[in-house]
Amino acid sequence: MTIRESTSGGPTSEELLKAVQVWLAQRDPGSVEGLVEPVVPRAATASAAPSAAATRGEPAGTVGGVPGPAGDALSLVEVEVLCPGRPGLIDTVVALDGRLLHLVLGVRRPGDEAHLLRAGDDPVLGLLDDAAGLGVVVDAVRDAELAPLVLEAVGWVGDDPGPPSPVADDPTGTVLAFGDTCMLTVFSWLFDGPNPGVEMLTALDEAGFNHLAAPLARWQRAGRDLGLVQESLSGSAGGWALALTSLRDLYAAGCEPEDAGGDFASEANALGTMTARMHLAMDRAFGRRTGELRAWAHDAGETIRRSEPGLLAKEGVAEAMHLLESSELKAPMLRTHGDLHLGRTARTDQGWVVADWMPGGIPAGADTPAHRTPLADVADMLWSLHHVASVASLERDPTGRSGLEGLARAWETRNRRAYLAGYLGTPGIGGLVPPDRRVVRSLAALLEVEREAVRTAGSGPAT
Amino acid sequence: MSGIGTTERDPSPGWYQRAVFYEVLIRGYFDADDDGTGDLRGLREKLDYLQWLGVDCVWLLPFYPSPLRDGGYDISDFFNVHPDYGTLGDLVALLEDAHSRDIKVIADLVMNHTSDQHPWFVESRMDRTNPKADWYVWNDDDQRWPEARVVFTDVERSNWTWDDSRQQYYWHRFYSHQPDLNYDNPEVADTMVDLVRFWLELGLDGFRLDAVPYLYQRDGTAGEHLPETHAFIRRIRKEIEADYPNRVLLAEANGWPADVADYFGDGDECHMCFHFPLMPRLFMAVRREQRYPVTEILSQTPEIPENCQWAIFLRNHDELTLEQVSDEERDYLFTEYAKDPRMKRHMGIGRRLAPLLDGDRRLAELLHSLLLSLPGSPVIYYGDELLMGDNIYLGDRDSVRTPMQWSPDRNGGFSRADFAQLYLPPLMDPVYGFEAVNVEAQRRNPGSFLHWLRGMLAERRSLPVMGIGQMEPLACPNPSILAFVRSGQVGDPADGAASPSTPRERTQAVLCVHNLSRFAQPAELSLAHWSGHVPFEVLGRVPFPAIAEEPYTITLGPYGYLWLELVDESGPAGERLP
Repeated sequence: MTIRESTSGGPTSEELLKAVQVWLAQRDPGSVEGLVEPVVPRAATASAAPSAAATRGEPAGTVGGVPGPAGDALSLVEVEVLCPGRPGLIDTVVALDGRLLHLVLGVRRPGDEAHLLRAGDDPVLGLLDDAAGLGVVVDAVRDAELAPLVLEAVGWVGDDPGPPSPVADDPTGTVLAFGDTCMLTVFSWLFDGPNPGVEMLTALDEAGFNHLAAPLARWQRAGRDLGLVQESLSGSAGGWALALTSLRDLYAAGCEPEDAGGDFASEANALGTMTARMHLAMDRAFGRRTGELRAWAHDAGETIRRSEPGLLAKEGVAEAMHLLESSELKAPMLRTHGDLHLGRTARTDQGWVVADWMPGGIPAGADTPAHRTPLADVADMLWSLHHVASVASLERDPTGRSGLEGLARAWETRNRRAYLAGYLGTPGIGGLVPPDRRVVRSLAALLEVEREAVRTAGSGPAT
Repeated sequence: MSGIGTTERDPSPGWYQRAVFYEVLIRGYFDADDDGTGDLRGLREKLDYLQWLGVDCVWLLPFYPSPLRDGGYDISDFFNVHPDYGTLGDLVALLEDAHSRDIKVIADLVMNHTSDQHPWFVESRMDRTNPKADWYVWNDDDQRWPEARVVFTDVERSNWTWDDSRQQYYWHRFYSHQPDLNYDNPEVADTMVDLVRFWLELGLDGFRLDAVPYLYQRDGTAGEHLPETHAFIRRIRKEIEADYPNRVLLAEANGWPADVADYFGDGDECHMCFHFPLMPRLFMAVRREQRYPVTEILSQTPEIPENCQWAIFLRNHDELTLEQVSDEERDYLFTEYAKDPRMKRHMGIGRRLAPLLDGDRRLAELLHSLLLSLPGSPVIYYGDELLMGDNIYLGDRDSVRTPMQWSPDRNGGFSRADFAQLYLPPLMDPVYGFEAVNVEAQRRNPGSFLHWLRGMLAERRSLPVMGIGQMEPLACPNPSILAFVRSGQVGDPADGAASPSTPRERTQAVLCVHNLSRFAQPAELSLAHWSGHVPFEVLGRVPFPAIAEEPYTITLGPYGYLWLELVDESGPAGERLP
């Protein structure tokens, strides 16, 4: 620990922890549940994770030295002054309920004008008093003037990268774009060690996979990933948004998907190609193991039985199980993305990219990265194509009277086919999947049901 | 000067970077001598209309003597005017009248080939020893230059055609009745330079150089974009710079932007080049309701020399060419825009703008907003200002070359000749026929597309940055939004836009936002770079909320568009308000 007390000219622990406390109260702490590994023994903390109740203004508890919003203990793990004076930056890691929370605190002179990145935001977290005098503590990554200082502290050495703008702000962290130059991610909740998503991104970049925003600077301390600078995904739009655009057009046109102007098939095909290239790069970066189809089918069946047994009766599941469980085939297992769906992809002027690597190869329900059949990622994306079509038809036709369900299924069928054609048509991918196309289809279908079961049971992602 | 259409046109160097071009088929524009064919006198009579519309430069399709087997691109005399169109005197009178209205005139120049009726070729094919024997490209067999592609694959099987009288094959990159000239013969090259000087001396303001990539042939190459071709263009440019300042060379090179940009040279070849690949992608983008077809090609478009400019267009006198798209994209565009096989022409679609858009006025406005705001000088095809239709039952590209529709009168006001005399029948269908779509009706109707376009041309003229500014693409998470800022220094006297009451030079910036979707869409734009600026909608000068550091949100209606001039709020009041 490198905490400086006020006697040495730095802020006091209490001042910093209070700022963290305010930050937590401003967020919905419940939404961060289950994102990170426990790093502090649960016995050392006094209560469960802060609840949403705290953000609704209910009284905070007072267990421990410095209370969290709902009474859980906060303790400083690490403090580093990134930029002394005013404006200044203090990087802070605190332990909360066995998890590590990371905040870059900005310190401004009282009376300074705030430069908000989002209108109506309130970045002020409290006050502190150090060698530079009284300071107002703010969340640095929500302040347009301080965010470039964070970028510089992380290791940006190029020309003026341009003004920051918010891209994403969720429990994982805050993502800012600086003009068309680069993107900065500051992680909020840390792994106690390397972030698997950053590791995967870096390894794939080194393996020559270019459907990603290349890492430019990795911010690490004490073996933990605190942030990341990547090249800009200039002009990008999310894959989910692009699929919705196509579906809206189809639902308005009311024709066959191939006749609709917004036909998505060429995009789905390109997504398939990108997925295949990702797996080929995974193979180069992390190597492969060999697994038995029979075992995969068994494991998938068990997961479905445990999570949502009703899905075992779904059309085709029994046949797929039978085919795979009676198979003697073996096939490669790779590190996979872990949770590949449209929401984690983006379309840019140069084509498709995987924009979000945060699963880091950790499959839903697992704790560590695992080697799996690459068809697990394929199944995830197929499920996403199904999901987006369903969501779009349900939003537009909640009663089902307009008959959009039929169009949704036609869209899904066409784009699943295009995606698989793109995937299986990529040179080299044949060495990573079972040779029999019937087996490939059955395995992908079974893994898709497994995903649906996990999601229905509540532990899967939102999109 | 004030008022739409009466603002003085730009007389300065670089005028072509700010100009709006208007492509005219003389044969189809206006028939002044009642013989059923449009002519130079007819065009001259319509100059008031073009001035009213706000056109800066008229581009004339070939008007030279020709058997007219390829729309006049098969020239049989380079130094004269086709008698159907008038005389050299008519041309000079047209140029004088156009110039008196500050309208410039450029013309097609077909340097690559002639008609097989041209006396040069008639002489050349007689035997192998005549004075013109080497003016064309002859060979004993048809196997040379196999790498060279056949352009009109649906009509021609080879670039070589056997000639019985000379007992040799002659080379042609287009139709077999259009033999290629031999530029390796210095006499040919010198004659073509003389030709350029001849027309510039008469007062033309420049040329559209037709089929420019194919002038030379070399073993082991595809015979396109060869260094010798570039050297010849540099020679012509040098001649022009020396004796005919402010004239322009516009290259027709249908290729990928990075290849076509070579025709700018180091600013010492063509002043302008057509940006062919952009056009089909505009049509793709509005059907797919997403920006990527357009932004992809723009991201692959290289920087060009400062004194150069792209020419961009929606439609022209040829088919909507799909040469510069992938096979898959071509299939898509055929499916979307050529549902009837009769709409296909060569490797493209023989339809006009309005029918391509199913007559949707909102789409027409959206595409014109893009045409007028994307980097490049816009080229409008005659009749598209009315949203004229086409006739897909006419052969080849005549589907888009029907007579201009001036009024609901006989022959659409195009000609007083008998109907049977007309070079092509005017449109008479209930949707696009001359009774429904014509200049007279639209001029009377302030809400017409014609008036809308005229207003937009006037706005564009008041925003020189639309011609000369840089383009800064804007990130937007909504894929249906295409947004960018055009910005640069304007107001210098050389720009011809400054007035005594405005600063001599200032930064001008215009935010252009387009909704490619049929549904209303939000646009959340990263405009932190323009923080402190106030956007003013250019048509109504309506101020929008000031831009701050946070993302700026605009809502656009279906196929909506906005041009917003970004005015620095921190400047003195007199400079702030547009």
